Amino acid sequence: MSDHGYFGQYGGSFIPEILYSSQQQLLKHYREAMADPSFIADVKREMQQYSGRPTPLTHCANLSAQIGGAQIYLKREDLNHSGAHKMNNVIGQGLLTKRMGKKRVIAETGAGQHGVATALISARLGLECTIYMGAHDIARQYPNVFWMKQLGATVVPVTTGSQTLKDALDEALRDWTSSFEDTHYLIGTSCGCEPFPEMVAGFQSVIGEEVKEQAMAQIGAMPDKIYACVGGGSNACGIFLPFVGTDTELIGIEAGGRGDGVGEHAKRFNTDQAKFGISQGYATMFLQDEQGQLAPTHSISAGLDYVGVSPILADLSDRGLVRMSSALDTEVVAAFKQLMLAEGIIAAMESSHAIAGGLREAASLDPSQNIVINVSGRGDKDIFTIASALEDEPFKDFLRSYLEGQD
Amino acid sequence: MNTLAKFIKEQRQTKPILLMTHVIYGYPSIDESLQMMKTLLEKGASILEVQFPFSDPVADGPVITNACHQALESQPKLQQCLKDISALAAAFPNSKVLLMSYLNPLLQYGFKQLAEDMSPHVGGVIIPDLPIDHHKMLEPLLQAKVDPIWLIIPGMNKERIELVCENARGLLYCVSRKGVTGQGSDSQSAHQQLQQYLGEINQHTNVPLALGFGISSAADVSGIAGLVDVAVVGSALLRAHQDGGLSGFADKADELLSAAS
Repeated sequence: MSDHGYFGQYGGSFIPEILYSSQQQLLKHYREAMADPSFIADVKREMQQYSGRPTPLTHCANLSAQIGGAQIYLKREDLNHSGAHKMNNVIGQGLLTKRMGKKRVIAETGAGQHGVATALISARLGLECTIYMGAHDIARQYPNVFWMKQLGATVVPVTTGSQTLKDALDEALRDWTSSFEDTHYLIGTSCGCEPFPEMVAGFQSVIGEEVKEQAMAQIGAMPDKIYACVGGGSNACGIFLPFVGTDTELIGIEAGGRGDGVGEHAKRFNTDQAKFGISQGYATMFLQDEQGQLAPTHSISAGLDYVGVSPILADLSDRGLVRMSSALDTEVVAAFKQLMLAEGIIAAMESSHAIAGGLREAASLDPSQNIVINVSGRGDKDIFTIASALEDEPFKDFLRSYLEGQD
Repeated sequence: MNTLAKFIKEQRQTKPILLMTHVIYGYPSIDESLQMMKTLLEKGASILEVQFPFSDPVADGPVITNACHQALESQPKLQQCLKDISALAAAFPNSKVLLMSYLNPLLQYGFKQLAEDMSPHVGGVIIPDLPIDHHKMLEPLLQAKVDPIWLIIPGMNKERIELVCENARGLLYCVSRKGVTGQGSDSQSAHQQLQQYLGEINQHTNVPLALGFGISSAADVSGIAGLVDVAVVGSALLRAHQDGGLSGFADKADELLSAAS
């Protein structure tokens, strides 16, 4: 699938020398594991029996009628254990960690979904777990931090730099340089050095494989278009890759944030603020200034708030095999509400970007056409952000009385 | 033999070990960092490593990382940094000035431009997130006689040590322990292990060796005299500056240099 971890001009391995032997060991074990039917069977069993796969493909009759264009289907990754597609990857890498004989995992997390998923699988597999999370993200997503701690994980606040996902990734890399002998770095997205992009995208590809089967069974045809939100890019890689080179058009939706100013969004495509660069172990399109310093990002969803992007998606975009678009914070909240009221589905803010992108384009399609939108995660974790975006005053009253009740 | 290697061998005729000191360009301000560099060169530091700050310095520990982030607030420009340190290098011909930065700022500047602007005064560059496998990227530097300074780490396999040694120019930077910068090692058997480790590297190259990571006192510097040509002091000077300002920094420099003269 990749040549020395390269996808076109992107990817590769640009890591401090100290990580070389650990990376080589991981590569060897990963290749061996993927060629071992019993490992593949273990991953499949955990995905079914622990995470609840396959996740459904849900037809949205009400929403389709409201929009008045294509038939809208949702791939329900929100129904995974942990409430997001992140579980697919941690099952794969968790079992690989056991296979390598390592006792500890470390992970970076933005929104906390990957952190929670890593803490869950660590509890199940008996692994020691340390999660690096930007202090800024901890403040935004404390409920996830609460669960990580309850699950026995150590959560380390990262107070350097922008205190978000990229800084958490830097800090996890630093940990790995002094702990690689007994520790696996369980990266949460399809970024980083070889083999992480390929490995994470590979474990996530179960999403697209299921869509193929479900589309044949429920629609009788392959979807015309598939939409997925793009932060690091793991859910997008997962649903897209089985469809690359087919007639299905693949559309990634990035975080348009508050607008096009520097630091106001997290778009790595369709902006001249992002350029080819090399950092965090790999080459990709990075948001950066003219000195090559990585730029600040913003999104209403912490999970899309990342400065780089999967080298796999950067290459597919260059080759015209994936089309990149974006959705503004305001469009995202509107799409979130519309889906919730029409179908009774509470999508994550991250996933609501894909919904916004899908709904925007569905109207101009024919009712005989079908689109699939990846609901990468559920939105009840976003209750604080959403309550604030919807300006729900009673929620604030509740928080006040909750705190008073604690005294 | 090239300029940097020759310089080190010559200096070693009269000194038990040379000191490679470290300053971050722009920390705590551009002017003060230039003052720190000047202080070190005036005191006779043989080699000065100037780090151009990067937003995501993954191979550095918390002290240097935080200092880099603070340095970035004054929005340092690589072009100006090269001008400033070239001028310093020209003013102190008995010392060598080297550049250290991460790959992305150098990549965006362009290696051809970098080679032009480093030459002839800034004789070498250290890029901790560029593995030896990508040495061809630095071809323009070699043509301008700027030495890429590669890292060797404990536990590196023989083939890989050979690959590094084949490409070694000027100086080889040997890491004394695993992990990131700024954390010392207390192990008793460390010295013996170190001898074995350096001995193996010496079998493959005549390029001078520098030893770094965790060297923070005159005793540390004396302790490795005879084993390597250069002792690399990183965050210790930075910490001295944070604790005692420019005078604390100067005192620490005096202490360290006393072990290298």
